[in-house]
Amino acid sequence: MTEKKPFAIDVGKLRSREKVASASAVERVDRVAADHGFIAREPAKRRGRLPSPRTGQLHAKVFPDVSDEIAKEATRRGVTQGVVIEEAWKLYKENNPV
Amino acid sequence: MPVIAIASPKGGAGKSTTAVILGTQLAHYGAEVTLLDCDPNEALTLWADRAPRPPRISLITKVSESDIIKTIKRHDADGKIVIVDLEGVASRLVSRAISQADLVLTPMRGTTLDATIGARALALVAEEEESLGRKIPHSVVFTMTRAIRSKQHSGIEASLRESGVDVITPPLMERAAFSALFEFGGDLHSIPPQGNMVAAIENADGFAQAVYRRLTGAAE
Repeated sequence: MTEKKPFAIDVGKLRSREKVASASAVERVDRVAADHGFIAREPAKRRGRLPSPRTGQLHAKVFPDVSDEIAKEATRRGVTQGVVIEEAWKLYKENNPV
Repeated sequence: MPVIAIASPKGGAGKSTTAVILGTQLAHYGAEVTLLDCDPNEALTLWADRAPRPPRISLITKVSESDIIKTIKRHDADGKIVIVDLEGVASRLVSRAISQADLVLTPMRGTTLDATIGARALALVAEEEESLGRKIPHSVVFTMTRAIRSKQHSGIEASLRESGVDVITPPLMERAAFSALFEFGGDLHSIPPQGNMVAAIENADGFAQAVYRRLTGAAE
């Protein structure tokens, strides 16, 4: 099939115009768009701090036999369970140098 | 180089088909074309996965609201026609793409529903023009039209023209070859024959030429 080319593209004629993309211009566009129901549809990013990286830290609850006692002692003293465990570890090290 | 945003909040209006036909035809006649797939349905990506992309066409996928302007800017400067295929919803992504466009095309079928919802894109363009203080050329292209037009279609087109809306002729007809682009990938010159290929290519050429004239300021 002989193909007739109906037009040729002159790339030089294809001109782009300057378009503003400053933060304030984008904000104006977003505001105008919202008035017309063109709103953000993408899931919002998760708010708040990111989860802490895993450190392998032990928790009192991994010791089922003593966890209740540790928890009660921590509550009584107004400290975290970790403080009680750290003190216990310190005592352990004093008696068993590592 | 010009940025063409294909925008309508109405799904199924023919945005992705318009993007592929326009992009492949402009590339066929020598333009470097970058297609931006901003539709979560990734219709352009599906098209591109079917066959090797035709020469002079590149595709950027998964463009989101937060990076649409940066992505357009990046490709707007490197000597290519950028065609942005947008999602069929009223979203901030659409409005931001329009803000960077040299031409906004709103495809619509000749139905009241398409026209009513498509008109929201036209209203948004007008508001953005005012907000940004620059003219944003925009046009409507009827899609999936048939040789014999319905009264509804004729009425909608007349109404748009009376309102000063630029309507591109020729419209994109309902053709097996156009929908087959998403079955076979490639362009109208590479897919296996589907129906009247000569008429399909002629239709696509006429449409691409009409868009080209608008980009170069030669539209009547």
